[in-house]
Amino acid sequence: MTLHCVVCIKQVPDHEAVVRVESEQNLFIEDRYICSFYDEIAIEAALRIKKDHPDTRITAISAGGRRAVEALRRAVAMGIDEVFHVGDESIESAGSMAIARVLAAKIGPMKPDLVMCGKQAGDDDMGAVGPMLAELLGMVHANAVLSLELNPQNQSFELDRKTEGEIWRLRGSLPLLIGVEKGLAEPHVPVVTRVMKAMKAKIENEPVSKLGIGDHDIESGLQRVRYLQPPVRGEVRMLQAEFPENVEELVRCLQDNGVLS
Amino acid sequence: MQAGQIWVLVDARRDGLTRSTEKLLQAAGSLAGVKDMRLTGLLMSQDEKLIESVSKYVDHLLWARHPDLTTYEATRWLHAIKQLFQSRGRPEIVLSSAHSIGLELMPRLAAGLQGAYAGSVVSMGWKGEALLFKRPIFGGRAYEELEVVRPPVVLTVRNALVSGGKPRSAVVAEIDEAPVDIPDGLGLEIVSREQTSRGKLELLEAERVVAGGRGMGAEENFKLIEDLAACLGAGVGASRAVVDAGWRSYDEQIGKSGKTISPALYVACGISGAIHHVLGMNTSKIIVAINKDPEAPIFKNADYGLVGDVSKIVPAITEALAKCLQKE
Ligand SMILES: Cc1cc2nc3c(=O)[nH]c(=O)nc-3n(C[C@H](O)[C@H](O)[C@H](O)COP(=O)(O)OP(=O)(O)OC[C@H]3O[C@@H](n4cnc5c(N)ncnc54)[C@H](O)[C@@H]3O)c2cc1C
Ligand SMILES: Nc1ncnc2c1ncn2[C@@H]1O[C@H](COP(=O)(O)O)[C@@H](O)[C@H]1O
Repeated sequence: MTLHCVVCIKQVPDHEAVVRVESEQNLFIEDRYICSFYDEIAIEAALRIKKDHPDTRITAISAGGRRAVEALRRAVAMGIDEVFHVGDESIESAGSMAIARVLAAKIGPMKPDLVMCGKQAGDDDMGAVGPMLAELLGMVHANAVLSLELNPQNQSFELDRKTEGEIWRLRGSLPLLIGVEKGLAEPHVPVVTRVMKAMKAKIENEPVSKLGIGDHDIESGLQRVRYLQPPVRGEVRMLQAEFPENVEELVRCLQDNGVLS
Repeated sequence: MQAGQIWVLVDARRDGLTRSTEKLLQAAGSLAGVKDMRLTGLLMSQDEKLIESVSKYVDHLLWARHPDLTTYEATRWLHAIKQLFQSRGRPEIVLSSAHSIGLELMPRLAAGLQGAYAGSVVSMGWKGEALLFKRPIFGGRAYEELEVVRPPVVLTVRNALVSGGKPRSAVVAEIDEAPVDIPDGLGLEIVSREQTSRGKLELLEAERVVAGGRGMGAEENFKLIEDLAACLGAGVGASRAVVDAGWRSYDEQIGKSGKTISPALYVACGISGAIHHVLGMNTSKIIVAINKDPEAPIFKNADYGLVGDVSKIVPAITEALAKCLQKE
């Protein structure tokens, strides 16, 4: 029986891209985008499942403007053949719930056995789309998944989930949605020929109107008031005294700050 | 927002309430106090000892009772909480600290409530009738302030601070035992639980953290870090360089691809201060850096800096602290 696995991916600014608050209403983001860290792990994990169970169909999907296409090209370069691009720029600013609704509208009819999302995306760090999507699709979900073993014969799985200081092993029946944790797979770097092929791949866009999504579906209930600079730390105080006076001075400072107990 | 209800999901370990939940209950109390909202502590654990520790913070302790809820499992808890929304009325605000349970459940609850959701909230406050809150974005390179324009709203809170709130006077909580119905076979089966940080203080909960980097020189020198941590009652953290080298385990890694923590005190020993590391700790209240290189970038992110060799300075701090703690 074919196992259908859907991977949700998003293009986000690189970890090292400059992000600067220019004014309360404006954020400067350097034009250096990548497929989000955990999403690449999800792609690799899907490819591994296909290796273990050749009768697997993998679909990658990204919602958003033209940058979403870049994430999908990455998926193609890594080895995924079926990719879908849905929605446009307006989705990106509409919030997690809007994105989850659009993804649910596209993914629902596919009736996948497994949906994979990143634990959190590298831009908003929300970690919301996966669990929301699970709710909308009525699927069981597990977050922060470190390993996953599938048994397509009897539609069962076992997974390891990371929690504070513990790893929990859980067992259940497909379908399942997971939030991917670091460690589930090590993404490979695609070879140049595959990257070239991916650049030429034709990726068509499906507008949200075609998915039966209306304006009220993309309201988030939240409004951004402003962007703010990260809080700044005061000037460092270098304790210049000779050793061991500097150490004693440090202990006094810590006492004065009330952080010792 | 009209006067209504605030619910806080209580996270508890074997040894009682977690520090982050305790802080969140206090913060929620301030929020509720300003608007005369009713504060509900939502307790899913069957441990009666927790009733006392939670009820001192809340007006109403809602105790979901079913043997299958004792151990957390997402689908069963979600099912129970949805029943409580039905029977007790929908809250306007639902809060949880950003632990593994909250992160897994809260966005899903928001979707179920057709409400708004935000994660990693670091401060909350009222502006007129609207709830405003702040959260870091792009790994802390910027922050955003958001306003709830259409409740209900569900938030996971990382470091509960409330601006403009007033602390609550003592309250006597109403204890509301709520039997819930859980169908047989719902959710996942828990096969096993394995501890990954046996006996160690959980970093996300630690009030103080001592972390070591490549500058510690060797795996065995982390004994110095552990001694200082033991003296401070602190957790042990590590840079990625030493995790990659196999000196320390991944669950101690602080930074972009490890944990993000906000303890009251962070001591960085032999850590250069790469941006990836700093992103995981720069919201700590007081940061101390010890490095032999006076130009190390870590000093730009520290409150106190000591230039010198960690093998000499770290044990000296442990000794000085031990002396001064003895005196007290
Ligand atoms: C995508 C990405 C994600 C990353 N995520 C993380 C992350 O989550 N966490 C993380 O930590 N890093 C992360 N990194 C790596 C990060 O960029 C740094 O390489 C790493 O933090 C360096 O670790 P370090 O400070 O221990 O080592 P180094 O940079 O080698 O610094 C060692 C420091 O010790 C000092 N020193 C040496 N000997 C002594 C001595 N005897 N006494 C006192 N000081 C001494 C040196 O002056 C130096 O400053 C990431 C990198 C990338 C690209
Ligand atoms: N626009 C999007 N298109 C496809 N998948 C997305 C999108 N946004 C978020 N996701 C998925 O949801 C995960 C969590 O995102 P977030 O809730 O934004 O932190 C990501 O790692 C992706 O797997």
